[in-house]
Amino acid sequence: MSKQLKLKIVTPEKLVLEELVESVTVPTLEGEITILPEHVPIIAGLKSGDIVALANGEHIPYAVVGGFVEVKNTASAEGSGVSTEVAILADFAEHISDITDEAIEKAKARSLELQKLAENKEVVDFEHFATELDRSLTRVKIADKWKTRKYRK
Amino acid sequence: MASTKEIKNRIKSIKNTKKITKAMELVAASKMRRAVATTLASRSYAGYSWELLTSLSGKLDEVKNVFFESPKEGKTLIVLITSNGSLCGGYNAQAIKKAMQILKAPLLNKERGGGEVLVDFISIGKKGDHAMRKIGQNIIAAFTDLPVNISIQNVNPISALILNEYKKGTYKEVFVVYTDFVSALTQKPNVRKLLPISRQEMKDMIDGLVPPLLNKEGNEGRFLNSSEPHPDPLLVKERGNAVPYLIEGDANKLIDMLAEKLIRMQIYQMLLESGASEQSARMVAMKNASEAAGEMIDNLTLVFNKARQAGITQEISEISAGMASVS
Repeated sequence: MSKQLKLKIVTPEKLVLEELVESVTVPTLEGEITILPEHVPIIAGLKSGDIVALANGEHIPYAVVGGFVEVKNTASAEGSGVSTEVAILADFAEHISDITDEAIEKAKARSLELQKLAENKEVVDFEHFATELDRSLTRVKIADKWKTRKYRK
Repeated sequence: MASTKEIKNRIKSIKNTKKITKAMELVAASKMRRAVATTLASRSYAGYSWELLTSLSGKLDEVKNVFFESPKEGKTLIVLITSNGSLCGGYNAQAIKKAMQILKAPLLNKERGGGEVLVDFISIGKKGDHAMRKIGQNIIAAFTDLPVNISIQNVNPISALILNEYKKGTYKEVFVVYTDFVSALTQKPNVRKLLPISRQEMKDMIDGLVPPLLNKEGNEGRFLNSSEPHPDPLLVKERGNAVPYLIEGDANKLIDMLAEKLIRMQIYQMLLESGASEQSARMVAMKNASEAAGEMIDNLTLVFNKARQAGITQEISEISAGMASVS
């Protein structure tokens, strides 16, 4: 069996995913990295986009907005080599299949609405709208991207 | 003695009240369960982000960060978390009392040579807002329309406001007054220093996320609850040996981002705790009300029966008196 790494995606609201996967690709602030087992420990900021995990040759895509990724290696229990753990802390993460067409339409409408609202709002409210706007746009973008591709679930 | 009809009406109205309080009790209980579940769900994020921050800042001990160091000058900001609704026993009163205490407390005044301390407030929840306005405190913002099920988005504006003001140097420290959810029966008003970040406070918070919620179910140990889906050892043990991390991008920027997220997380956490406390306080208050109503009904039923019996006795004696006078 090929080596695997432990992937965890957590948001403030819940633990989104905890699974053993072969690799995971994350959008970082300065580009994109693919993490394989025994990757050097790294900490990087995330930008909005999609996290793609690879398990048994299948892609598992998640839409993600803002956060961090941490890779660390710990000595595995059997004492042979190391096990890699990837923790993704996101403000928001959602499996692609959870983003239905209906939700996309709603998100599109919402993002337009928010854009208008954001133009004439105070700073405090703006912060709220800006994050929500980012979230809506990311969902739409990522869902569009994965519409024609194959993925698990 | 009141007439039997009057007593009957009173019993009826008390019964109706009891039905209402009973319903409110059940609603509060289910809301409380949900709030507790959300609090639990958020703890792995809090644990991870704290760990991340320790690994980052451990690597960069020399880094001077505005979030960790208090500016010398500035005002004090107090965030007061209370509820919008009432009928929850002493929940709001206790939180407000706690806020009053810090207003006078040495917590603010010592080290400052007894000088006047300027305090501003951010009130979350109508009750605290009213109370602070009444005593003439300066409220810079009031968040009184948060939904019952708070999500992290609702916290964004609050945390953004606090962080901006703090970064501008308006405030030298930020406190939050909230209610700690110890168990379904006990809630404790509490004060926590939000900014500058103190390592101890942060650790306390993350440790504090777990035990009370589990202990409620009668578990003594911290992670003994088997129904707990993801026991996370990260929360209890600090990593001893610092692993050298590769850091993509500017570490300082990352620390800033992470600190901001942690602050937001903390506020979120305290809102959840307060929400759970509010609901359980309401549950207990309504339970007491239902019990009191039950007692009242019992007493009144007794009075009613006595009155009825007295009426019957009187009638009989009148009839027999009448008979005696006829024969």
